[in-house]
Amino acid sequence: MKILILNCGSSSIKYQFIETGTRIVQAKGSVERIGMKGALLKQKRHDGDEVKITGEIIDHQAGVEYILSILLSKNHGVIENKSQIDAVGHRVVHGGEKFTGSVLINDEVMKGLEDCMELAPLHNPPNIKGIKACQRLLPKAPMVGVFDTAFHHTLPDYAYMYGLPYVLYKRYGIRRYGFHGSSHLYVSQRAAVLLEKPIEELRIITCHLGNGASMAAVKGGKSIDTTMGFTPVEGLLMGTRCGDIDPAAILHTMGCEELTLGEANSMMNKHSGLYGISGISSDMREIIEEAEGGSQRAELALEMYCYRVKKYIGAYAAVLGGLDAIVFTGGIGENAPEVRQRSLSGLDSLGVVLDPKLNIWESSAEHAIHDQNSSTAIIVIPTNEELVIALDTEKLIGEVVSVE
Amino acid sequence: MAAEEDLKSLLRQGIPEDDDSVSVEEDASTDVLHIGVLGAGTMGQGISEVASQAGIDVILIEKDDRSLQESLLGIEDHLDYEISRWSKTESDKKAILSRIHGTVDPTEAQNEPIVIEALPDNLELKKEIFASLDKICHEDTILITNTSTLSITEIAAVTGREDQVIGMHFLYPVSKTPVVEVVRGLKTSDDTFRRTFGFAQQLKKTPVEVFEYPGYVTTRIILPMLNEAMHVLMEGTASAGDIDTAIKLGYNMDHGPLALADQMGLDEVMIWMESLFHELGDLKYRPCPLLRKLVRAGHLGKKTHWGFFRYDKNGHIIPEEDAQ
Repeated sequence: MKILILNCGSSSIKYQFIETGTRIVQAKGSVERIGMKGALLKQKRHDGDEVKITGEIIDHQAGVEYILSILLSKNHGVIENKSQIDAVGHRVVHGGEKFTGSVLINDEVMKGLEDCMELAPLHNPPNIKGIKACQRLLPKAPMVGVFDTAFHHTLPDYAYMYGLPYVLYKRYGIRRYGFHGSSHLYVSQRAAVLLEKPIEELRIITCHLGNGASMAAVKGGKSIDTTMGFTPVEGLLMGTRCGDIDPAAILHTMGCEELTLGEANSMMNKHSGLYGISGISSDMREIIEEAEGGSQRAELALEMYCYRVKKYIGAYAAVLGGLDAIVFTGGIGENAPEVRQRSLSGLDSLGVVLDPKLNIWESSAEHAIHDQNSSTAIIVIPTNEELVIALDTEKLIGEVVSVE
Repeated sequence: MAAEEDLKSLLRQGIPEDDDSVSVEEDASTDVLHIGVLGAGTMGQGISEVASQAGIDVILIEKDDRSLQESLLGIEDHLDYEISRWSKTESDKKAILSRIHGTVDPTEAQNEPIVIEALPDNLELKKEIFASLDKICHEDTILITNTSTLSITEIAAVTGREDQVIGMHFLYPVSKTPVVEVVRGLKTSDDTFRRTFGFAQQLKKTPVEVFEYPGYVTTRIILPMLNEAMHVLMEGTASAGDIDTAIKLGYNMDHGPLALADQMGLDEVMIWMESLFHELGDLKYRPCPLLRKLVRAGHLGKKTHWGFFRYDKNGHIIPEEDAQ
């Protein structure tokens, strides 16, 4: 089945065109600067053909239109007509409590999505725009929504509730939702395959360390806790997000600096984390270089980052009641041995022992990096959220076909 | 290597005509993509910044190169301030500045769907400018005046497109004040109003519909309060600091009335009061003699570091005991 995967942001659309049978990504690309001057469409085809086009793209519908036209184009395309797109899979950031798994999109689902908009005012509206554009441009292709939050719907209430007045949960849905769900799902399932054990028997901690970062405790294939919360700002230290913090510190700062809600929000999301601490960069590669070069604040940022990962490994080992595997994924998780080494140092008593040589081995493939005496497997697995979306889309379309 | 191609031609050759081909609706979106702003003082700078932040390209017009450069630096300074307040990032700043194009040639804005005039509140000046904008601009262009008290109808009358002239009252500071009064002149068309209202929303502001009447809503209501605070001070009822503290804390306002007047500029406040007084003839709009006295002395508020309060170079109030 040939599936178009769309990830619509506020001014960008990322896409992949995947053949699910062979799992080959036939084309991938992005549209950037939607609604601004000098919009840019980039695509890379599986045979290496690359194309870059600039122009004016006024909205998401025009963006999707351009994506279709490049997929169809004689020189850079991969299909001859639109009917060759069997389905469209949309990444949707927030599914709230309503969507606990991927869904085939219909009118009722659209209404539900619009209800979730308040929970993710920055992320969900562009997702919805992308879906609407596809409804108009590809009226015959079935569409599926895959939610970033869905994998975490199995969290028990004592893990997802905050210690605030209960009425806030009822009124505004204030609770932990968690994000990066497709990634945590994918790497935990891959870990089970690599360990050659049924996932039902495994206790896994998955660390998705990218520009945004989160960890999940996965027991028997189900997420039972995760570090991100009501929004993606909670939990680990990230590129520009602060992660865990005493909320009273923010209230106090707002008072001292006479900050508005918007300023405080931007401060926590865009001016904190590695960037806020180091004052240098939000990019882990630069932080590591600067720390090696003697910058004390870069060193502090790096140490804080790894300390939080370690702290959550301890916490999640406790909630899982033991540990079979730790998985690293995401840009930093896959490519920063320094971060893995610091995060796992001193965890011998938990049976977590890293092999320093394997750890620094550079590979873009899945590979184990634990010492042979480690009772816990430590594995690096490149994530593939798009494949999860493609496979979920195929599965749901398949079910519809079989019912019909 | 990546090939550069024209997007439109690709679009035309790209989608073959098949059964479910969709016609491209060129005007599917009513969003404004570019505007002209005439006058790059404090308000013009603020409007340009807010529009650019909303992804709109701005042609910013000033009378000469020197004022233009000062204005562009002013925008940059303000963005730096916002970065220091954590509300924007360096990349926000870069993106915002890249969409603001300064010029001294008003004809560069002739094809913009919207041109906003942001000159000082001076009726004769505005009439002159609108007469020339009317000649320069495309016949579909909406001409917007940013004014807090003047008559839209009177400004519109000098143009040949009275139905396409409308007022937008942005409040200072533009980037922080969420409300915009969208002011209909007597002949402003519903279509012009609807498009301007939508444009305000595109700027992420909350628009309110106002039918032209001196002072509109915000200015008309706030000015008598400022004037009353000046009378209370003049009559010796309380000190300036105590008046502001009482109102600030008593009614949960961010600024006291005297500090607010200082921030607006006492000369401006006096001009507005006189304009209301003349238009409406009601004594309650008569400018307080203390206000006249301060304006005559050149104590115009924050911008001259001296009004009802004294201000340091960063614009912070110097406590009264230190100021003496």
